[in-house]
Amino acid sequence: MKIVKEAIAGTLESSDVQVKVAPSEGTLEVVVKSEVEHQFGAQIRAVVNDTLGRLAVSEGIVLVEDKGALDCTLRARVQTAVLRGGAVKDLDWSVL
Amino acid sequence: MNDEFEFYAIDPAREPSERAEIKAFLAKSGLTYEDGIEIFVLGRQGRRLIACGGLEQNIVKCVATDPLFRGESLSLTIVNEVINLAYERGHSHLFLYTRPNNIAFFAGCGFYSIVEVPGMVTLMENTPIGIRRYCDGLKKLRQPGARIGAAVINANPFTRGHRYLIEQAVAASDWLHLFVVAEDASFFPYRDRFQLIKAGVEGIERLTLHPGSEYMVSRATFSSYFFKEKNVVGDCFTAVDLLIFRDWIAPALGITHRFVGTEPFCRTTNKYNLDMKYWLQADLSAAPPVNVVEIERTAQDARAISASEVRRLLRSGDFDRIGKLVPPTTYELLWSKYRTAADGASADAAA
Repeated sequence: MKIVKEAIAGTLESSDVQVKVAPSEGTLEVVVKSEVEHQFGAQIRAVVNDTLGRLAVSEGIVLVEDKGALDCTLRARVQTAVLRGGAVKDLDWSVL
Repeated sequence: MNDEFEFYAIDPAREPSERAEIKAFLAKSGLTYEDGIEIFVLGRQGRRLIACGGLEQNIVKCVATDPLFRGESLSLTIVNEVINLAYERGHSHLFLYTRPNNIAFFAGCGFYSIVEVPGMVTLMENTPIGIRRYCDGLKKLRQPGARIGAAVINANPFTRGHRYLIEQAVAASDWLHLFVVAEDASFFPYRDRFQLIKAGVEGIERLTLHPGSEYMVSRATFSSYFFKEKNVVGDCFTAVDLLIFRDWIAPALGITHRFVGTEPFCRTTNKYNLDMKYWLQADLSAAPPVNVVEIERTAQDARAISASEVRRLLRSGDFDRIGKLVPPTTYELLWSKYRTAADGASADAAA
């Protein structure tokens, strides 16, 4: 999926995560800011990158502002932001 | 807890009674209502106003919560609502000004500090990679040399005086980076000003022309509301603008000198030049100092050439005199786009 416009999903409430996506040419930049960077930074990045991979996102800027979200919340917010920002033609829901 | 709260947005221009209520509510938090605010998000518990947050273009302003309800959640929610509203209105990159003691709170709302004027005001943006990316882009335009100059011009419009200053600055540097003020608060809109500058510096080597950016502070939207003593507003605005230049832009390009013309006609700009020397040269920042070099303006008929003079002549239609002050490219645009019917008659007679 190609990110064609800026989009946002999630909130900054405790246990949630705010994900912002924006278009970019040629590169995929993922920036993660988390209150639990030290303990879970790597895990958060893994989940975000995996979700982006399943949605076939290869270009764009993805900003993740984590406030202690669980993996399932992280996935859901990343998906929502990407879908809001993307050009959806034929979405294969089974891969999500 | 949030189930009992209701959040909605209003246009303050259309809701005078709610606007009055907001004014009183802000006053209790020591904030002054700002007329430029286009939209407000309000939080109510029943009929009681307990939180508000305003938006003027892409600047978040007047965020306040009732002290009785203060705590992470309500304040966070109101800022979140403002951010979402801004997105809907097409503004994803937001700025805000706040007192330094509120930095931690807004950091929790996803804002990141750009610069801080100690004890007075901090400018923040809602992305960790905003100004960093802008500066990464600037780094690609670095030029070698020991004396790297910079100048910021508004050029309202571009005159022979500007050309002279730029030539002087280039002569005194290994390279000159020229920035154009992007704000559309001048008589001539940004597009015209930029085109005239571009045409006007044609042929000058060792020069890079930079279009304006969001990081050149806009005086129009600068928050003044939380300054109890209003006479420090101008100083704070200048400080923020100059600190951004010193802490971010100058290091990215390796700028060692900033050139500015002496300003005989305009007291505000004169003060600005004095402030510039302070904020760029004093030992108050981790970033290296930037030398401020004032260049005497060039004169035509013993009067310094200035854009305000050209605008005055434009109003009176004196195109003969204008021609002496501006290069042909500027004259062309003024003649074709900005003359009035009255000037046409007198100029035809002269031709």
